Amino acid sequence: MLGESRKAQEVFHATLREAAVRAARGELPGEPFWLFRDARWRCLEATKSDLQPEPVEMDECDVTPEAESQIQRLDPMQLAIWISAAPDPQRSALALFYLDEFDYREILDIGELKLSELSRFLAKGRRQLQAWLDSKFPQTSKV
Amino acid sequence: MKPLSSLRRQRTLLNCAPISARQLADRPMRSAISRADGSAEFADQQNFDRAVARLVRLIPIPAESAEWFSEKDLVPVSKRTWKTMLRNPAVLAISIALAVIAGVFVFNFVSHLNDFPGSATARKLLGVAASTRPVMLDPVNTEAGTLGDLFFMKHGLEHYDVATEFADFGTIGCRVFEDDESRRIAQIWVSEKRMQFFLFPAERDSKTGAVLRFPGWRYVHQEGWTGAVTEHSGVCFMAAVRGGGKDLQSYIAKAKE
Repeated sequence: MLGESRKAQEVFHATLREAAVRAARGELPGEPFWLFRDARWRCLEATKSDLQPEPVEMDECDVTPEAESQIQRLDPMQLAIWISAAPDPQRSALALFYLDEFDYREILDIGELKLSELSRFLAKGRRQLQAWLDSKFPQTSKV
Repeated sequence: MKPLSSLRRQRTLLNCAPISARQLADRPMRSAISRADGSAEFADQQNFDRAVARLVRLIPIPAESAEWFSEKDLVPVSKRTWKTMLRNPAVLAISIALAVIAGVFVFNFVSHLNDFPGSATARKLLGVAASTRPVMLDPVNTEAGTLGDLFFMKHGLEHYDVATEFADFGTIGCRVFEDDESRRIAQIWVSEKRMQFFLFPAERDSKTGAVLRFPGWRYVHQEGWTGAVTEHSGVCFMAAVRGGGKDLQSYIAKAKE
């Protein structure tokens, strides 16, 4: 969500501290994903003052069978930075989805999204990531 | 338009298809995945997602934060409790239906627990007793025990004798009529507690024609009336009274003594 480990750690600790205080007061919400929703809002708040990505149309390409090998060549931090650079709520959708901890209904709940929005953000994200991979690791054309 | 909308819905779901089987999908999602299974496009998407998820797991987490997670699941799997299962509308509906079926079954079982040959006729005659008015009977002022001769002499009804327990009761009237199965029924009204007596043919085996006998007195209840029934020589005698069977039981008990 943040693409920067120091900021991520600050948000993480702030979220836990707030949760501990609420637990001590017996004010923990009954809804199941409030902690994750809280963490997401803190991440968005933390990046509010940062330089925002310009609203430019990114290249898009269909996902190819070679994508798997291209992704393997990618550095994990590069991927984290690429996701954190996406505009929200697409950023939240990609981060929550690829964390592979939540099913799509839970992501809709945490990300406060509609199914059609989540679907569009993920499909668009895949195509943009593929285009970025293609530009980073160009495929040798097959004859 | 419908197939198009269905395809669009399927595509929407497939875009959100879970990366690992660990994320249990709901029925619409499972259905969309099973339809897309084998398509190259979906296989590419799944491989792509798995590769990205693997890489995401390699993103370094600061040591201070990492120790919070250890080996525990990020999201605890919610266990299904009995309470949540019972709150499920389908389970609730099935439970209610089963309870109603069981209730009907138990009611039928209990109501037929005291059945005996002729109990159905006895119940019908309690209905007759409830609707009978004194003017419907021929006035007869005598002892109930003597009416057996009258029934035999006047109507040719053999063994239509009032049970000895009730033979001394003074009568108000009597009649002989046929029920809906053309069986001849003798009805006697006595002054004692405005009781009514019925004499009717005992039930017979449909194959052999033999009388289906039963020992002692049996009780039936219908429309607020109670009847005490006994069988003798192929004829059933029923003493019927409005209300509970305590009065009848006391007459029968006295006679035994």
